[in-house]
Amino acid sequence: TTHSLPGKPTLIRCRSPEKETFTCWWEPGSDGGLPTTYALYYRKENSDTVYECPDYQTAGENSCFFNKNNTSIWVNYNITVVATNELGSTFSDSVDVDVVYIVKPNPPEKLRVVIMEDNGYPFLRVSWEPPHKADTRSGWITLIYEIRVKLEGRNDWEVHLAGQQKMFNIFSLRSGGTYLVQVRCKPDHGFWSEWSSPSQVQVPEYF
Amino acid sequence: TVSTSDLLDRVSEHSDMIHSLSTILSQDLDSQLPPVGRMLLPRPSMCHTSSLQTPMDKEQALQISKSDLLSLARSLLHAWADPLLFLSTSAMTLPQLAQSSVSNKIQELKQHSQTLGDGLNILSDRMGQAAQAISSLPYSGGNDLGQDKISKLINLHFLLSCFRRDSHKIDSFLKVLRCRMANMVPEMC
Ligand code: NA
Ligand code: NA
Ligand code: NA
Repeated sequence: TTHSLPGKPTLIRCRSPEKETFTCWWEPGSDGGLPTTYALYYRKENSDTVYECPDYQTAGENSCFFNKNNTSIWVNYNITVVATNELGSTFSDSVDVDVVYIVKPNPPEKLRVVIMEDNGYPFLRVSWEPPHKADTRSGWITLIYEIRVKLEGRNDWEVHLAGQQKMFNIFSLRSGGTYLVQVRCKPDHGFWSEWSSPSQVQVPEYF
Repeated sequence: TVSTSDLLDRVSEHSDMIHSLSTILSQDLDSQLPPVGRMLLPRPSMCHTSSLQTPMDKEQALQISKSDLLSLARSLLHAWADPLLFLSTSAMTLPQLAQSSVSNKIQELKQHSQTLGDGLNILSDRMGQAAQAISSLPYSGGNDLGQDKISKLINLHFLLSCFRRDSHKIDSFLKVLRCRMANMVPEMC
């Protein structure tokens, strides 16, 4: 068997769910055939001090979590991952990250779909709450929401933009149809969250 | 006259738009900058507004008084009046590809900034003496983007990346201010 230096690791993504903490993930390079350890180092803009990742545990394998005390915004973090085995170390390309540009919230929570009636015709009232980590009340983060609805067994989603509202009504339902509903959110500047897990509801038969 | 809460809604729409535009512009330019240009970009500490002390996280931002939030936003916006004017004239001298995508957006930035500045002046008049203080952050970057194509792109990219960060600060301060002023109406934010 031949042994070699560890392959070059790759920083694949850094994300902040609420502009208060963030996590970076990396992908190991090829295996050098020897036990390999990984370390993440960072340097903040305007400082020469190099720090090691404060928390490798919280966000799972091949990741580094920066809690509130370790997170500043409007400052670049220059981040590098180093893979080490007994033959030596291999450095990833370094990445510059300002937390304000990597905001991707968690999905909205407490999705609720109830059937209501308007002049004998049912409609869906969809309501939800912001992801609990996002501090929308202070204005620190502003979220807009999108809802999608489809009939069970069909492929085409009907998508509605709800703006900053946390409630949306959906009309023109198929009598007796079962609907799946999901909601997602986007910060004022940042990425769409994943879709929430779906909520299912059956519309009563009507004519 | 416009109510203060309506005024705050309007100014934060403009600050939001300004930051979104500056992001699109930075990304446009990023795609045009050759790798060698990226290595020559000045560091963010070279931005002419970097001496202004601003909060580094939510905890610090939420401790700032309403008048100081407004004062920070106005100081930053004021610091960009001259460089935006310079950018709007020098965008005309850019290489063809950059010019078409950049010129119009810079004009839009200039207009939104003007409107935002007018709105913030009204707000600061209403909020009293403490909200009217402005820090002076003079722009001394000259009024020439450079001679060759790469220098022009580098200097433009650098200025816009400074503006992108500052416009995010302005937008954040105004949105926190807006929610703080609306705290009588809990569902506003
Ligand atoms: Na980890
Ligand atoms: Na922090
Ligand atoms: Na953001």
